Amino acid sequence: MCKVRFGVVELEMSSRAGKSTYRDRTQEFVKAVESLKKTAPPAPEVPSLSDALSLDSYNSAASNQSEFNKRASRIGLEIHQASQKLAKLAKLAKRTSVFDDPSVEIQQLTTVIKQDITALNSAVVDLQLLCNSQNENGNMSRDSSSHSTNVVDNLKNRLMKATKEFKDILTMRTENFKVHENRRQMFSSSASEDSSNPFLRQRPLASRGHNDSSAPPAPWESGSSNSSTLFLRRTSTDPSSSTKPLIQQQQQQMAAVQDSYMNTRSEALHGVESTIHELSNIFTQLATMVSQQGELALRIDENMDDTLANVEGAQSQLLKNLSRISSNRWLMIKIFFVLLVFLMIFLFFVA
Amino acid sequence: MRVTALVILNSAASSSSSPEAADPVVLANATDVSRFGYFQRFAAREFILFVARTVANRTPAGQRQSVQHEEYKVHSYNRHDLCALAFMDDHYPVRSAFALLNQILDEYQKAFGESWRGVKVDATQPWPYLTEALTKFQDPAEVDKLFKIQRDLDETKIILHKTIENLLDRGVKLDDLVEKSSDLSAASQMFYKQAKKTNQCCTML
Repeated sequence: MCKVRFGVVELEMSSRAGKSTYRDRTQEFVKAVESLKKTAPPAPEVPSLSDALSLDSYNSAASNQSEFNKRASRIGLEIHQASQKLAKLAKLAKRTSVFDDPSVEIQQLTTVIKQDITALNSAVVDLQLLCNSQNENGNMSRDSSSHSTNVVDNLKNRLMKATKEFKDILTMRTENFKVHENRRQMFSSSASEDSSNPFLRQRPLASRGHNDSSAPPAPWESGSSNSSTLFLRRTSTDPSSSTKPLIQQQQQQMAAVQDSYMNTRSEALHGVESTIHELSNIFTQLATMVSQQGELALRIDENMDDTLANVEGAQSQLLKNLSRISSNRWLMIKIFFVLLVFLMIFLFFVA
Repeated sequence: MRVTALVILNSAASSSSSPEAADPVVLANATDVSRFGYFQRFAAREFILFVARTVANRTPAGQRQSVQHEEYKVHSYNRHDLCALAFMDDHYPVRSAFALLNQILDEYQKAFGESWRGVKVDATQPWPYLTEALTKFQDPAEVDKLFKIQRDLDETKIILHKTIENLLDRGVKLDDLVEKSSDLSAASQMFYKQAKKTNQCCTML
């Protein structure tokens, strides 16, 4: 007699080991069970976790169980896939480079994960309803009912862990984004106004609901604020399955209530404040430029003074020249007279 | 950017649970239907009143709401069952619209106190403040101080940008002048030296 395991158990053990080797062997099991029923052998050896099947009422129980197991195994697989996507999202969100911001992929991944989680929520709720109805039918043994409730609780716990991880990733992502924006502000001169928006928006959401049809903000911001407020509320209540359908309603409400009148007012105020900052920057630049140009004016003044002095000196030289040249003639006349006198004396001596 | 109508209603009787909820009662009304042709004006006014009643019926107490209706945006603000509505086109900033509604409500409460609560029939006399508000507040800067401040600051910024450009031009010209004056002083120095040289050279003659 070969050892046959539940598909669920095999899936759980493989997903815990981190590999996705999912083999659905419920069909084989059902066939083996039917063959067992025909030959009426001693009780087959089954692992302790699968002690649910008794030999009587196999048919209905078997079909119910297989339906239950199929769905439970599918849910488990989807939870595993969702946690893989969460790991990818965490890696993306941890990348803290200022210029290469994968916000589009992050937002897409966030929406995909959110859809998966909501689908999983509803699937787990259905599974629990099925389990309860099966328990109430009364044609299952005590062990099988306890097993099914155990399976459902396990799946619920795993889903809750996944959603908690999701919330942590989103908070980390918003923190990183804030750090990005601060760094970007340091390096660029333009003021960005949406650094504090995700947290500003949460306050009016919490205080009162407004309906406004102005332009919607970046969807990932709304997504993060949505889910962070959602999960804050969720963890405050006890994690029963009744809160899970409420999440969808709250999500739709908050998506409609995103931009309120107070938000626009605060944005306008921020805009005014940043404009005033820019104006002050412009004024200081103006002042520095004017002082620099004042220096230039001083240099020009100095140069002109030098020029004036040079030209005056040159003018005096020329005047002296002129006077000397004009006075030179007088000197020459006097020298000529002296020469003439000498000539006369020379002539007198010779003749 | 224009305001087409301002309406004030008393929406005390409107509650979503009762099926035969009384429609909101129009307390004051100011419409600017000059854009429509003469024969369409009456229909336009009726249409405005009807839409105003419907929107005021659907606005819960203490909340603001904006609804897009054909090419108009209807902003409504319900404060303690006194509902103010404004019909305006898409270009009018939403925030200024709500500031306008706030102001209208304040004025109305100052003017009429609490007497409007008992009014069950549509008021037929126009309220002069509302009509002049309609004409005065076509420009959102009048009603919304923040908008006006923002606009003034933007104009100031433009002027300052032009000033800085002029300053840069001045800097370029000053640079030019510095060059020229230094050339001039060098030339005058050469002139002086030359004059001195010819002066000294001539002494022998």
